[in-house]
Amino acid sequence: MTTLGRALLIARKDLRLEFRTRDIVTSAGLFALLVVVTASFAFPTWGRGREGVAAGVLWMAFLFAGLLGIGRSFAIEKEDACMDGLLLSPAGSEAIFLGKLLATLAFTFVIELVTLPIFVVLLQLSPDGGTLVLILTALLGTLGLAAVGSLFAAMAVNTKTREVILPLLVLPVAVPLLIASVEATTAALGGHDLSSAQPWLLVMAAYDAVFLLVGMTTFRFVTEA
Amino acid sequence: MDTKLSHPPIPGAAPTMTRAALLERPASRRVLGALTVFAMLVLAWAAFLFAPEDAAQGPPQRIFYIHVPSAWIGFLGFGVVFVASLLFLVRRDLRYDAVARASAEIGLLFTTGVLITGPLWARPIWGVFWSWDPRLTSFLVLWLIYLSYLAMRQYVPDPMRRARFSAVLGIVGFIDVPVVYLSVRWWRALHPDQVVFVSGGPRMPGEMLAALMIGLAAFSLFYLYLMAVRLHVSRLRDLSEEDA
Repeated sequence: MTTLGRALLIARKDLRLEFRTRDIVTSAGLFALLVVVTASFAFPTWGRGREGVAAGVLWMAFLFAGLLGIGRSFAIEKEDACMDGLLLSPAGSEAIFLGKLLATLAFTFVIELVTLPIFVVLLQLSPDGGTLVLILTALLGTLGLAAVGSLFAAMAVNTKTREVILPLLVLPVAVPLLIASVEATTAALGGHDLSSAQPWLLVMAAYDAVFLLVGMTTFRFVTEA
Repeated sequence: MDTKLSHPPIPGAAPTMTRAALLERPASRRVLGALTVFAMLVLAWAAFLFAPEDAAQGPPQRIFYIHVPSAWIGFLGFGVVFVASLLFLVRRDLRYDAVARASAEIGLLFTTGVLITGPLWARPIWGVFWSWDPRLTSFLVLWLIYLSYLAMRQYVPDPMRRARFSAVLGIVGFIDVPVVYLSVRWWRALHPDQVVFVSGGPRMPGEMLAALMIGLAAFSLFYLYLMAVRLHVSRLRDLSEEDA
């Protein structure tokens, strides 16, 4: 079985677990919704040129909801030494990393797909032609976040203050990703099509590729006993 | 009793030393310290007296002679963290972790210096303390990565695990810095900056360049000296923990 095949098995395990408990999608999803709604009161999300503010609000919500979900996904593996079991299995650390990443990508992307239309309606935005760019941005941005987040969450669950340390590690490293996703989202919310957001989508794709590779090669160092 | 130590040797000393020898300050470090002080004095002379006053910027330009060397140490420090992190993961020797930690602490110190001297210069020259210029922003992010690197170390009690985690963070952070720089440059390129940049002219007189070189040399010596002191302190701490 290929690495990808083993990764899909692990992702399927996580998705089955999530389908039965609905822990992560409900808690992180509600969190994303709450951030979006409270931020709409906190920031000037009305008037002309509000797409930039809206994009920032949206990504703050996605970022923290994503971190919440990724942290939870690794906390589960810590309980009853599940991670040790995974590491003892013939899956290999690359496959474990990819599997956890794909599962968290799926959870977070589902949350985003639910939050996006509510957000667009609440803020009276009309992405129209930018809808495809919006979804593509969410996917690429979340992939990068899941790559860095999965690597660091495996570290964070083994520290004294699990919950606090994860955003502390991820946020500085995620700066390029945040810049690119906010810029692409601003263009998309303004109704622009692929051409205007293209450089930012490329930045995100490059970031994703780099940190997928770094995560796959270094994951074994953060999980070894 | 001979104590095997898990930290890098003090320059010029044997890797395994007796307890008594460890408590002494080695002569090589005193020489390094003296050289650093001398180089700093030369730098003060070069920066204030030798280098001519900038025609456009006037006296504020002189902060350049400590600002750029600080930035150099900020990069050097993180480069050393990166190399020591790689070496730790390959060799599994805690001495490399001690080097990475010491280098991160010193790097944070000098990066803080960059972020203080930069705005001090920018206020009279650009008219604002801060601008989201690619280099400034990259340094701010570098500073944050240093901070999170050192903060994370506080939360992992087991030394080997701490070293592994730090090494991974050191490598990820190092790879991230150029990505930050490029993305911020694009970000600013698409949003033209409102600040009027008063350039000191494209060419730098020879005296200015000489003063800058003296600054780079002096700060590099300072970095080496601080590394030696920091590594010595961490070995002494290990020793006191063994006694306890």
